Amino acid sequence: MSNMFSNLIMAVRGIGSNWLRTLLTMLGVLIGVASVIVLLAIGTGTSRSIENSIQALGSNTLTVFGSGGSGASTGTQIRNTNLNSASVSLISNANNAPDVQSVSPVITTSVTATNGSSTYTTSVIGSTPSYLVASNYTVSAGRSISTADVTSHSQVIDIGASVASGLFPVGSNPLGQQIELGSARFTIVGLLASKGSTGLTNADAVVIAPYTAVQDQLTGESQSFSELLIQGKSAATLSLAQSEVQSILAAQNDTTVAALPFNVLNQASLITTATSSSKTFTALLGWVAAVSLLVGAIGVMNIMLVTVTERTREIGIRKAIGARKSVVLTQFLIESTVISFMGGVLGAVAGIVVSRFTIAGVKPVLASYSIPLALGVALSVGIVAGFYPAYRAASLRPIDALRYE
Amino acid sequence: MILTRGGASRVAFDPGAPASLVEAPIIALSNIVKSYMMGGVEVLATRSVSLTVVRGEFVAVMGASGSGKSTLMNIIGCLDIPTSGHYSLDGVNIRNLDDQALSRIRNTKIGFVFQGFNLIPRMSALQNVELPMAYAGVKPKERRERAIVALRLVGLGSRLEHFSNELSGGQQQRVSIARAISTNPALILADEPTGNLDSRSSNELMALFTDLHRQGRTIVMITHENDIAEYASRVVELRDGSVIRDQRQRPRLPSVSSNTVTSSQDGDGSEV
Repeated sequence: MSNMFSNLIMAVRGIGSNWLRTLLTMLGVLIGVASVIVLLAIGTGTSRSIENSIQALGSNTLTVFGSGGSGASTGTQIRNTNLNSASVSLISNANNAPDVQSVSPVITTSVTATNGSSTYTTSVIGSTPSYLVASNYTVSAGRSISTADVTSHSQVIDIGASVASGLFPVGSNPLGQQIELGSARFTIVGLLASKGSTGLTNADAVVIAPYTAVQDQLTGESQSFSELLIQGKSAATLSLAQSEVQSILAAQNDTTVAALPFNVLNQASLITTATSSSKTFTALLGWVAAVSLLVGAIGVMNIMLVTVTERTREIGIRKAIGARKSVVLTQFLIESTVISFMGGVLGAVAGIVVSRFTIAGVKPVLASYSIPLALGVALSVGIVAGFYPAYRAASLRPIDALRYE
Repeated sequence: MILTRGGASRVAFDPGAPASLVEAPIIALSNIVKSYMMGGVEVLATRSVSLTVVRGEFVAVMGASGSGKSTLMNIIGCLDIPTSGHYSLDGVNIRNLDDQALSRIRNTKIGFVFQGFNLIPRMSALQNVELPMAYAGVKPKERRERAIVALRLVGLGSRLEHFSNELSGGQQQRVSIARAISTNPALILADEPTGNLDSRSSNELMALFTDLHRQGRTIVMITHENDIAEYASRVVELRDGSVIRDQRQRPRLPSVSSNTVTSSQDGDGSEV
C-alpha cells in the first residue's frame, strides 16, 4: 500500500521530535540485542574450544586403560593387567574387529630431558607409528618413528614444540641431535607440529619414542601396556568398534564384558557429553541476554505510552478530521517498531564489534543464527511493546482527545 | 422553544448559490437530547433541540458557556452521539454508526475549524492541509495540487512549507480553513474560530468566512461574540440547552476585503 510509505515517513518524523528520548529508548534495545549476540558468541566460543581440546585427543579414538592394580579389584579380578602384545594383535586382526583402523600400545612415563645444561620435564609416550596418526600429531620436520624403529628397539624420538623450545636455543636445529631422557641417550629424528595448548594440558610437552626402546631404557621390561589407543574407521562406527574391542578383551581374559577390568574412553561420547553441557551453558547465557532484551522492551512500551499521552491532542485532531482507528493504530505501531528495529540494527553492529575481542579468555564465535534471531526479536519487541500504547491511542474518543490539555 | 422548520428553506441572503426549495437540508436536527451523568445526577446538556440548516446558509450559534452550544457542535460534527433524537447530515442518517463510519463522515462531509487552530506540529502548512485528503485516500499528486489551491484561496500561497510554529495565529487559522475546505465538504463547522485571535486578525478571518459564504458554502459557526455573529446570515441562540432565538439577518459587510487580506498577510511575514 502506498499509504504504508507515508505512514513510515510520518512515524520517523514523530520519532525525530524528541531525539534524546528516542536514542535512550533505542539504547535499551541496543544493549539487549548486543548482549544476546555477544553472550551467544561466548557460549559458542566456549563449546568450540571444549570440542577442540577433545579433538586434540585424536580423531575417532577409543582409549582402553586398566582399572586394576589400584586396589579397587574385589577378588573376582583374574590376572593382573592384561593389555599386552596378544591383545594388540587380536584387536589388529580385521576379522575380529572390522571397525578398527589401528591399535597403538601406549606406555607413558614422565622424565627429565637434558640437553647440556638445559632440562625440561616432559611426558614420554612409548608407542608405534600409528599413535601419531590416531592422536593427530603431524611431523613438521624430519620423520616419524617407524615400525622398523619399534622392532629394532632404536633409541629415536619425535619431540613436541614445547620440548624443543625448552631444550634448544632459538634458531638452532634439534634434528639429529641427542638428548638424555633420564640416563639414556635418544636421537631426535622428527619435530612435531604444534597442536597448541588446549585447556589444561599442553599437548606440545611430549616426546614420542618406540615403546620397545622406552621399555628397555626407562620403564623396564614388562608384558603389559598402560593403555591402548584405538582408532576407529569412522565416527559413526566408533561405538561398534568399542563393543568389538570389549568382546575381544573379554574373550582373551575369560570374562564378560561387564566384568572387564578396563575402562574404555569413547571420544565420540565424550564429545556428546561436552557438547550437551556447553549447550546448557549457552542457553543459560542466552536467557541472561533475553532478560536484558525484555527490559529494553519495557522501555519501548513505557516511552510509547508517554508519547501517546503527550500527543493526545494530535490524535484528537487526526481522528476529528477523519483518521480511522486503524490508521492511528498503524501510525503508533510503526513508530515503536522503527525505534526498536533501529535499536536492533545498532545493537547487532555493536554485538559483532564486541565479539571480535577475547572476553574472559574465550574467543567468541558469532553464532550464525544469533543476528537474524536478535533482529527478529527486536522487531517483535517493537510490535508487541507498541501494541498496547497504539491501541490506547486508537481507542481515544476524538471529543475527549481534543479537550485534553 | 422556537422551531425553525417553517422558514428553513427560505434563505435570507444567498447571492452565491441558487436556492432550491426541494433540496434536502445540510443539517436536520430534531428533538436532540444529550444528557450526561455527573456525580450520579443526570444533567441535560441539550433538551430537545431542533434545527434545520440548508445549503448556503451561514449560521452563528450563540450562547453563554454552559448553554449547550459546545455539545450541539460536537453532535453536529459527529464527534458525539445524541442520547435521543434524530440527526441527518447532507442526507445521511447519523444513527447507529460505528467509529469507523463516523470517521468517514467527518472526513468527507465536514471541515473543522477549531478555536485552538489544532494544526499538527512538525508538519508544514501544506502537509496539514493534505492530511484529511490523505485519510480519504486521494493520490499524493492530486492532494498536493488541491492543498496548494486551498492555501492560495486563503492567502497563504507563499507559506506552503512553513511549520505551524512559524505562523501567526491568524495564519494558522487560515491554514485550518484551507484544511477544512480542501476536501470540499458539505459543511464547514467552526468552533469559536476567532476565540484566540486579536481583533484585526478576527476581522480578516471573518472577511474570509464572508467570501466562503458568498461562494455558496454552508457554514455553522459557534461563537459567543455578538460582533462576530453579525457576519452570519442567521443567528441561533441557545440558553440552558434550548434554542431561545433563531432569526435571519443581513450579514455585516467586512471592513476589509479578502483581496487586501491576502496581500497584507502575504506582505507582513514578521507578524506574530
